Amino acid sequence: MKPEPDEAEAAQRLRDQIAAQFGRSLHIRTLDTGSCAVCEQEIRLLSAPHYDLHRLGFFFTPAPRHADLLLVTGPMVRAFELAARKAYEAMPGPKVVVATGACALGGVYRADRFVHGEVEAVLPVDVWIPGCPPSPLALLHGLGVAVSRLAEKVPDLTFVADGDGGAA
Amino acid sequence: MTAVEPRAAAGTREHLVRQLVGLGGTPTLDTSPASNAVTVSVPAGALEAATHAAAGISGVRLADMFADDGDTTVLRLVWACEADEPGYVITESQIAGGEYSPLSDIAPAAFVEECEIYEQFGIRPAGGKPLNRVMLPPHSGAEPPAGRPPGPALPTLGHQPAQPPAEVHAPHLVGGQAFEFPFGPVRQVGVESLYYGLVTSGEEVVDLYLFTWHKHRGVEWRLRGKTAPEAIFLAERAEGLSAVAVGWAFAAAAEAAARVTAPAAAARTRAVALELERLYNHAAATAALCQATGLSVGQAAAEIALERLLRVNAAAFGHRYLFGVVEPGGVSRAPDGDVLRRELPGAYDELRRAADALLSTNSFVDRLAACGILTAEQARRLGLVGPVARATGLTTDARLAAAGPYADHPVNVVTGAAGDVFARFQVMLGEVAESVRLITRFLDDGTAADRTLIPSRAGTGLGWAESPRGEALAWVALDEDGRIARARLRPGSARNWRGFDDACRSQNVFTDIPIIEASFWLTVAGMAR
Amino acid sequence: MPLWFARGLRRGVVTTRYPARPDGSAVSLPTPPAFRPGQLTRQTADRMIAACPGPALRRRDDTLIFDVGACTACGRCARVAPDAVTPSGEFELATTDRAALVKTIPILGGSDEA
Repeated sequence: MKPEPDEAEAAQRLRDQIAAQFGRSLHIRTLDTGSCAVCEQEIRLLSAPHYDLHRLGFFFTPAPRHADLLLVTGPMVRAFELAARKAYEAMPGPKVVVATGACALGGVYRADRFVHGEVEAVLPVDVWIPGCPPSPLALLHGLGVAVSRLAEKVPDLTFVADGDGGAA
Repeated sequence: MTAVEPRAAAGTREHLVRQLVGLGGTPTLDTSPASNAVTVSVPAGALEAATHAAAGISGVRLADMFADDGDTTVLRLVWACEADEPGYVITESQIAGGEYSPLSDIAPAAFVEECEIYEQFGIRPAGGKPLNRVMLPPHSGAEPPAGRPPGPALPTLGHQPAQPPAEVHAPHLVGGQAFEFPFGPVRQVGVESLYYGLVTSGEEVVDLYLFTWHKHRGVEWRLRGKTAPEAIFLAERAEGLSAVAVGWAFAAAAEAAARVTAPAAAARTRAVALELERLYNHAAATAALCQATGLSVGQAAAEIALERLLRVNAAAFGHRYLFGVVEPGGVSRAPDGDVLRRELPGAYDELRRAADALLSTNSFVDRLAACGILTAEQARRLGLVGPVARATGLTTDARLAAAGPYADHPVNVVTGAAGDVFARFQVMLGEVAESVRLITRFLDDGTAADRTLIPSRAGTGLGWAESPRGEALAWVALDEDGRIARARLRPGSARNWRGFDDACRSQNVFTDIPIIEASFWLTVAGMAR
Repeated sequence: MPLWFARGLRRGVVTTRYPARPDGSAVSLPTPPAFRPGQLTRQTADRMIAACPGPALRRRDDTLIFDVGACTACGRCARVAPDAVTPSGEFELATTDRAALVKTIPILGGSDEA
């Protein structure tokens, strides 16, 4: 059922308000669905002096009830699926799911009896961050995109090089 | 049947092989020039006596045990000989009938592998001893959920066990009330998924058991059918924080199977990358120790050093975590030597300053001393490796068994004595200094991006490397097309997690557990793979 | 009181403007490839697809389909086709639209068996 124009407008206003709120104070919960452990190391470095996510109004929290954003790594190992759903459902709305790393985006493990192969197979993903691993700079950009503070770049990139190289 | 106490006899590889031959074993012809691994075929009936013999030689350690399916199931044990002629002996036994002699009674270091082999191949030790669930979750074997397209033909995993493995919970040893406190697999922020079954009487850790199967990706099965160059991509991601070590072990196993060796300059490149890997891991462990003890300033200082070391990796090798450097046959790229010589000293000084400040912080040192104690006897009995074992006084280091760069520049192995968190921390700090020294030596001798082509030929081979968390082993069997028939990956973590419950049990409380975990600095990925 | 503090209190801005300037360390980060359509033939494309350890590259007739999300920047495609591939230099690749990560690159070099 499509929302009426007034409803759609109200929904967009609500989305903007949420983004504005998250942009000033965002609490992040991490979820490892089967990574090789390197994505976790880059995520830990977000609170290190070189990157310091606190200056941007982002915070880590171990409590799902306090969390606004779920930062998910790994190819969604099937044995972990129940824990992933519980972690997601334990977070009250509004909430954002960010899949980070090539494993989480389906680039490393094809689906088989052990893994789903991508986070989106189990959880509704809002933001995708490529990389193997995504560096802390890439993660900060991704978090900024998730709260509508930073613009996405990749839709305008073609990955076509002219004679001099570089992505046009 | 009690665990064997080793007699104080000098242990060499030849001594062990002689004993195995005396029990009916047949060494297989190993014409690999640089291989330090000898394979002995042992009849299944003699397996118990052979294990007894090997476990009874001082300086011989059970490094791994794994199986393979085929017409019959084959059971392989890898013994590390660490006395005067460091090297490995692999015993191979055909197991018919689903059962083999119980080995973990003789060699407790084999228990986890016995469980793993039963889950995956259906053969079990005779005697009906309860086994734990290690790799496969309780609902393994389930079909993909309805609506999802079926995947490609899956590699055969082996026989399904006739009965599901019994789940063993630790007995409650404390008089009075002890209860089980389940924790995980989703834990604190930024750490891997891991389930602890914590048995406690309130604050004290009575017992601790781990479930790592939430992260089991079945990497070994994915490697089947791939050539070694195709497989290295996944092999180095089995435990990404040891990408160089596990990658090197796998590449060396493929080279041994194909009867080739990597060029000397490429081996030195691998060694530079391996020592850089050790450096950043030990810096990360230092940061984790500070976080576990609540020392934010120390944590920040260690993280600055860690970040600088990762940037050195990126500048020298093009990847912060050194992915994609090691390849079967050699290396894909050489380090930028000028950048490395220029940037590494500053990054190392950063870590040194943080470490010196920590060592003169009484509250920090007091917190680590006498915490999470492991004795040399426990480490030896369980076959532990790496800084965890060295901190108890054992001189075990896979670099002592390596040819090439580590033979040219022998490692000064750093050991401790107390076996506690502080000793492990001190071992790591000693190793950091040694790594910087070795990197300079290897750069002086010259590095290159060079590769020997891996011919398509059938064979088996064993490879190893000293990862930051201990010896990483790999074994491959290649078919005539050079494709993997069986690959075994055994990162250091797969050896050392079994020591974690012992370390947590000795007079420790809840808040000690993260500290002990940081001092082990293992990964769940390396165990679950 | 410092000006930034007063301004912050008045405007209610509590966080830093990010990014203030580019980070110099970013030059050594591995980045996904950018392709040169003129140097791409069907055979080059198929060689790159075979070399790619994941599902990041596919070909449909004379179009190379590149899934940036699946790319690990391992460099294997560049090694088998050095003239056709160059590092893109892009690592800030996050998006709210998964489809935006799938790029189509025209294969303009024709076929090697012309």
